[in-house]
Amino acid sequence: MTNAMVGRVSLEQAKSLVEFLETNQQEKADALIAEIQNPINSELFAEIGKLTRQLHDSLTNFQLDSRLNDLATADIPDAKERLSYVITRTEEAANKTMDAVESIFPVVDNIADQVNAVNPSWAKLMNNEIDLKEFKSLCGDIDTLLQTTGKETSHIHTLMTDVLMAQDFQDLTGQVIRKVIDLVREVEDSLINMLTAFGISSDKKLDELKPTLGENLVEGPIVNKENRDDVVEDQDDVDDLLSSLGF
Amino acid sequence: MKVLVVDDFSTMRRIVKNLLRDLGFTNIQEADDGSTALPMLQGGDFDFVVTDWNMPGMQGIDLLKAIRADENLSHIPVLLITAEAKKEQIVMAAQAGVNGYIVKPFTAATLKTKLDKIFERLA
Repeated sequence: MTNAMVGRVSLEQAKSLVEFLETNQQEKADALIAEIQNPINSELFAEIGKLTRQLHDSLTNFQLDSRLNDLATADIPDAKERLSYVITRTEEAANKTMDAVESIFPVVDNIADQVNAVNPSWAKLMNNEIDLKEFKSLCGDIDTLLQTTGKETSHIHTLMTDVLMAQDFQDLTGQVIRKVIDLVREVEDSLINMLTAFGISSDKKLDELKPTLGENLVEGPIVNKENRDDVVEDQDDVDDLLSSLGF
Repeated sequence: MKVLVVDDFSTMRRIVKNLLRDLGFTNIQEADDGSTALPMLQGGDFDFVVTDWNMPGMQGIDLLKAIRADENLSHIPVLLITAEAKKEQIVMAAQAGVNGYIVKPFTAATLKTKLDKIFERLA
């Protein structure tokens, strides 16, 4: 088959044919005739061989990419747990902070009330307009105020330390979220590789694409405001838009 | 004045409640989405509603529409406090009859300004 043929049959083939028939090898003779009638293009044959090998390699590589399997069965469920952890931690932090702040409000209000109560008599004292009875009462009020303030400031200090400590969520959730970002990047790469393996172009026409909205157009916080022209930048934009509607 | 605060996140409800309390609103109740809020509104004499937009179950915009469609409730002023920031959505809320629209994140001062404006108009 490697012979380049000029006519439809070579002398060599004819000789073999005669030899097969003389030695009663009918099957070989028939095969030779079939070959002469349908000459296989050797280049085409080689090309098919090459393609088959490539296909085989691609399929093997594709199966070898067991990372995809890990991503789907282990890493992504793990990421979901990590993100739930972020929700839990941030919620805890918000509540701890608000617990502390809500306990501080009445304490501060109480001190403010006592200061306000003392103020008129204090002003009289400063202007030398106070009488003895009022002065004695003022001394009592100031004594209470000093005691309250002394006690409550240390209370406030403790509560403010609680607020401070509640901020540790930032570090912990930051680390967790960074891992999830790495995973998303890896999934993205794997998906692009898969698209490439199937010969689908992964051209970035993405710029034109906007995130899909759920029902009622709900999208949640906009994280890329500077790249969008269909969203408002801040409250001033909202107010402008509403007033342009006659609000 | 009786106020209903509607948000699916308890922390946000707590923030809004604290801010409202600071502004002198002491009678405040909470609901975690529109479908729990609506029967509360129908059953109680609320004077004012502060609601989020994006909530599971009934959304804030649908709560607003339901309030406007109910003749017993249609007079109640509704303030949306939401992260939804598409111009289209703000227009939609305005058309549905919202009394104020605040985008998250927001400040205590913004809330005060909007409330003053809403009640000034109603007065």
